[in-house]
Amino acid sequence: MALVNPSFIDEVKRSDEFNASACMNCGVCSAICPMGIELLPRKLFRYVLLGIGEKVLNNIEAIYSCLLCKMCEVNCPAKVHIAENVRSLRYVINKKVFKI
Amino acid sequence: MTNRRIGVYICHCGGNISDYVDVDRVRGAIKDEAGVVVAKTAMFTCSDATQQEMVQDINEQKLDGLVVASCSPKLHLFTFREVAKRARLNPYQYTQVNIREQCSWTHTDDKEGATKKAVRLIRAGIARTNLTEPLDPIKIDTVPKVLVVGAGIAGLRAAIGLADLGMSVFLIEKSRDVGGWVKSFGKMYPHNKTGKKIIEQLVNEIKKRENITLFTNTELVEKSGSIGNFNIKIRVDDQNHNEINVNVGSIITATGFDSYRPETGEFGYGLNGVVTLPEFKELLDNSDGNLIYNGKEIKNIVYIYCVGSRQDSGVENAKRYCSRYCCNAAVHSSIVAFEKKPKIHQFHLFRDIRTYGKFELLYNRSREKGSVYLKYDENEPPTVETDLSGKLRVTVRDILTFGEEITVQADLVVLVTGMVPAKNDKLIDALKLPLGRDGFFNEIHPKLRPVETVVDGVFICGACQGPKNSSESVASALAAVTQSASILKKGYVELEPLIASVNPELCSWCDECVNSCPYSAIERGQYQGQEVAVVNKAVCKGCGGCAPLCPKDAINLKGYTDSQIRSMIDAFLKETF
Repeated sequence: MALVNPSFIDEVKRSDEFNASACMNCGVCSAICPMGIELLPRKLFRYVLLGIGEKVLNNIEAIYSCLLCKMCEVNCPAKVHIAENVRSLRYVINKKVFKI
Repeated sequence: MTNRRIGVYICHCGGNISDYVDVDRVRGAIKDEAGVVVAKTAMFTCSDATQQEMVQDINEQKLDGLVVASCSPKLHLFTFREVAKRARLNPYQYTQVNIREQCSWTHTDDKEGATKKAVRLIRAGIARTNLTEPLDPIKIDTVPKVLVVGAGIAGLRAAIGLADLGMSVFLIEKSRDVGGWVKSFGKMYPHNKTGKKIIEQLVNEIKKRENITLFTNTELVEKSGSIGNFNIKIRVDDQNHNEINVNVGSIITATGFDSYRPETGEFGYGLNGVVTLPEFKELLDNSDGNLIYNGKEIKNIVYIYCVGSRQDSGVENAKRYCSRYCCNAAVHSSIVAFEKKPKIHQFHLFRDIRTYGKFELLYNRSREKGSVYLKYDENEPPTVETDLSGKLRVTVRDILTFGEEITVQADLVVLVTGMVPAKNDKLIDALKLPLGRDGFFNEIHPKLRPVETVVDGVFICGACQGPKNSSESVASALAAVTQSASILKKGYVELEPLIASVNPELCSWCDECVNSCPYSAIERGQYQGQEVAVVNKAVCKGCGGCAPLCPKDAINLKGYTDSQIRSMIDAFLKETF
């Protein structure tokens, strides 16, 4: 069971560039990810949108494995700024977990 | 033997019929039937070329009867009646035999059987045609006045439309105020005008027109007469309980809907903080800035969709239909909530989202503003409970988060409730309107005759015929206006002459027929000083319910007389003897 934490959503969504809400859950991104990271990006964004911080923070390694190659982004039918979104998520984790 | 000259046309219907029915064999079997002088097959009898050929045959061969064996008369009865008319043959001397739905489509596993059945059906059609007589449509003069029942957005708009076409309108409303549900709505999509403003606008237009008479606190109590000339009794609920009689040519029913009221415990209904969509809309409209419920600020809202819609058919009185309007209304409300308070968090728990047409844009906008949508399975609906601290906890298994069980703490749970039929027992009784499976008024055909009812001259529009949003209601109101105007502007209506007729020489007024008539079309009359039954031509639907019950055989159905039916049965059974 996962508890929704709305304040986590606000923390991540500070930047206007964060547009994961456009994601339609189609899965094109996951299918073409060269790193084969199953979590990224659609599952991850779902957890972020719902503010399930615990699931996000449990997967820090996966989040930092992303190459930001934008293969997913150019193929995204909903024009989600995937790389930018991952970057802003890393920014939050840097602050919150690594205190940098 | 007969001296009739009948033309028979058997349709291939592309291959729809001829793939299963051997149409050439059928032609061979019926070409020598009594009265048949022309027997042909055609790839498509409804095509222009075949229609022309029929007209030519009727004229050249001097045909006085026409039989077309093709599809259902629901599809092409009027097509071939027009063919007969063009050839100056009385359209009631034509018979359509349905060998598509009744033979080829039903017996795809038995070609031989389908062919034999087609032969028998066509023989019966020929037998009936042998005994047809020319009939003329019944002509009835119409009164250029209309009664509109219900002064919501549909009723108001209908009244204006009718008045502008030069008709007098009696607009009656059961409650004290006009405007129905819409008058209490806040900002509406896409123009952002409030419901109140829209109703004010309509009421102003009503006031400008002298030929609209508005009665509030008024109910329809009695209806008699028929299309073109109804006598209506209305009761005004004032100190004197006035009853007024009005005479109108048609009736438009626009009595709207009720909002579904959830059962206690249904998705937590009854818990503090669980409200229905109309209650939430009211809360939204009354707040200017902060959203407060019961003195507490609202930060997290959870919407649960399909409450009172698409219910499990196992439940008693289940509302199995989709209310269509509720997805749009809830999505729009969430955008209004963001406008009032941008920092709010909103979670939408849906089974399926149906924001069709332009409302798709609303759905996208709501997501852009931060609404999160979670999809639940109908077998695992979300649960709503109060935790120890008194907060609402909504738990749902979200399909879009890969079946994860998710709990949201909410300050407010909005149950997105659908539309249910308004309670109108008295009106239904007075107008004798049939209800559909879901309890809404039923139109004759949802696509081809969407505002007409089985009661000629009585039309329905707006949400009384099923869930609709306000623009759809207005569109159907204007459709009803057009239908009313089309019968009333002409000054007369033409009705089917295929109705019951009483032979007064035989009738002894036993009233068996009166009790059998579902349309109350048979009345007591006089013939040479004797009491006899008389058929009201405008009300009779030609259902034939009365004819076999008459102990004196005094009733015959035009177009389906006893002798015609007997000859059809004989024709069916030809080889059996």
